[in-house]
Amino acid sequence: MLDFLDNPATLAGANRDPDGDMHAADFDPVGMAPTEFAHPTFSVPAIADPVAFLKHQTGVDAKNRIKIQHGTTTLAFKFNHGVIVAVDSRATGGSYIASQTVKKVIEINPYLLGTMAGGAADCSYWERELGRRCRIYELNNKERISVAAASKLLANMVYAYKGMGLSMGTMVTGWDKTGPQLYYVDSDGQRLKSDLFSVGSGSTYAYGVLDAGYKPDLTPEEAIDLGRRAIVHATFRDAYSGGYVSVYHVKENGWEFISRTDVNDLIYQYQAEEKPSLV
Amino acid sequence: MGDRYSFSLTTFSPSGKLVQIEYALAAVNKGVTSVGLKGTNGIVIATERKSHSPLLEDNSIEKVSVICRNIGVVYSGMGPDARILLDKARKSAQEYKRIYLEEPSVMIMVKEIASIMQEFTQSGGVRPFGVSLLIAGFDDLGPSLYQVDPSGSYFAWKASAIGKNMINAKTFLEKRYSETMELEDAVHTAILTLKEGYEGTMAESGIEIGIAYLEHTTTKEGDKIQQGRFKKLSEPEIKDYLANL
Amino acid sequence: MEYNGGAIIAMKGKGCVAIAADRRFGIQALTLGTDFQKVFSATDKIYFGLAGLATDVQTLLSNRIPSPTPPFEFTSSRPIQSFFLKTKADICSEKFRMKVDMYHLREEREISPKTFAHMVSSTLYEKRFGGYFVFPTVAGLDANNEPYICNMDGIGCITTPNDFVVSGTAENQLYGMCESLWEPNLEPEDLFETISQALLNGVDRDAISGWGGIVHVITPEGVITRTLKGRMD
Repeated sequence: MLDFLDNPATLAGANRDPDGDMHAADFDPVGMAPTEFAHPTFSVPAIADPVAFLKHQTGVDAKNRIKIQHGTTTLAFKFNHGVIVAVDSRATGGSYIASQTVKKVIEINPYLLGTMAGGAADCSYWERELGRRCRIYELNNKERISVAAASKLLANMVYAYKGMGLSMGTMVTGWDKTGPQLYYVDSDGQRLKSDLFSVGSGSTYAYGVLDAGYKPDLTPEEAIDLGRRAIVHATFRDAYSGGYVSVYHVKENGWEFISRTDVNDLIYQYQAEEKPSLV
Repeated sequence: MGDRYSFSLTTFSPSGKLVQIEYALAAVNKGVTSVGLKGTNGIVIATERKSHSPLLEDNSIEKVSVICRNIGVVYSGMGPDARILLDKARKSAQEYKRIYLEEPSVMIMVKEIASIMQEFTQSGGVRPFGVSLLIAGFDDLGPSLYQVDPSGSYFAWKASAIGKNMINAKTFLEKRYSETMELEDAVHTAILTLKEGYEGTMAESGIEIGIAYLEHTTTKEGDKIQQGRFKKLSEPEIKDYLANL
Repeated sequence: MEYNGGAIIAMKGKGCVAIAADRRFGIQALTLGTDFQKVFSATDKIYFGLAGLATDVQTLLSNRIPSPTPPFEFTSSRPIQSFFLKTKADICSEKFRMKVDMYHLREEREISPKTFAHMVSSTLYEKRFGGYFVFPTVAGLDANNEPYICNMDGIGCITTPNDFVVSGTAENQLYGMCESLWEPNLEPEDLFETISQALLNGVDRDAISGWGGIVHVITPEGVITRTLKGRMD
């Protein structure tokens, strides 16, 4: 099994640097990436099947599992006045609450926002990398990258590492030449375009509130309130979501940070409100 | 077919009596006298230890027995029957302790034994026990004395006697008993009561005495605790009592 | 334990004991209720809580004290007489209630906290091989009003420390809180404050415990029961 240690040449197709490390770039699926867009190279375990090795380390039934932050509620939706993005701020490791003050909206640049669900490190790293590429695109082309292109860059990057344990469910949103845009990109390489997304363990609860109150002609105030309510109700029901709700509004001239509020205050506030009658 | 013969031996007579139980009581009334009486701070039970022959090892006979840490019993009537009850009582006490990590109260023990005795008046293929018991113990409520009969009925007494000389003994106790007497006095009175019907001179090997009282101890952790304790008096102890009569 | 979540603490005070629990009922990540009862009374001076699998909690002890207290309001209730007297038709009759009732009827006396704890322990060990997934905590005053607290594992191993016991998914967090907040000889009101702060701040670091709390302070004069407002996320 480990005989390649004695004779590295037995490892088929392995390109190695002087240290003998194998690089993820060697797995470039397209095989024709321009150099400035070359995938960052990570050293991967120098064994025959690094994917299986990583699964062994990070899989759900691994003995000393490397725990990755999971629970989250994030949402974003398009409406007539742009895009609303709202997220919670809880980080958990198992049932332990590691943090209540995580920033889950990643400000890629003044026109682009990304959201964070799944592995915190994966999301922040790859969206930072996306920001770098978008800036390079801007310098090369003297115009801002479209949201479609940016989200595609992200999707391609993570696709290169498919099966190696990356975990992210992210929404990329912004305003470009074609207007407000919203994409969903995840670590499986899936990339979707829609008017409304919610991602994370609390997403189903958020969808419930969102679907009940969503229409394209909401006023900005109504839309902000809807996004916030959806997150707050999700944090009530979902044990792995909580902390603060942060809201952003993507407008023609870039995104605007709206608010950051303790969800607990809002839960009590909403509970005190009169409920609409059912009939 | 075997079922046919396991009908109850204890069946009502036309006049409404259970003669088997009356016969069992007769066996008790032939038995050696036992007495029990309560003092303010403890309780005593006592009985004669009769040897039929000078060749018998006296100390091989035991009629006053420990059931559990805080409860003891004495019987009048058939020894082998009493031994079965004693076994069952001890086992039941340990089962109780196994669940609650606590000694059973006297009343619980009495109910347990009485229900066994009752069962033997109603089950198929068995006969009632030929014994009456005096059960003495010390619990949260202080000292208490119960008498249990072959029918399974039980009574709480301040002082009582069972066996051959029961009537005289009870008359004696009625005269001598006082509710304010302490354990020491109670032991003396018990001995005197037995002496009433005792044939020959009473020696320490000729009677058995058990007492229950509140024991003060210190645990390994240094906590002072008090708990009920039943113990049999040793022959030297009995000898001291006899000397001080 | 991670299936339903939950947190329970008991603490000794000066001539009093307190027991506190969170109020969440959930299945894994999903919170279904915020008025779940995990603490029950065995007598007017013994309260006991079960952390663990909710179905076993109810199988073992539920005598649902009918709607205990309105949420988020301070109440102080006089103790109800003895356990078996308050049994009503609408109360689920389950294992411990039955056992305590039987004890009271048979023995014609009130069960002591220590005896009760051993009864619980024996009941759990009866199912040593494939038992109940519950982790009981007992708090009470004995006949001399001496404080008694203990807790045990799922098969009945009892621990009886002199300060506090904790159990549930927030166990580690609660240990931290109790170790730093508890001090000896707290009077009932101070004990209430201590156990409440320990509970609320403990469960705020546990995803599957919380959503409010309930505290019972048992004193010779009566039981003070209060519900606590806590974070609802």
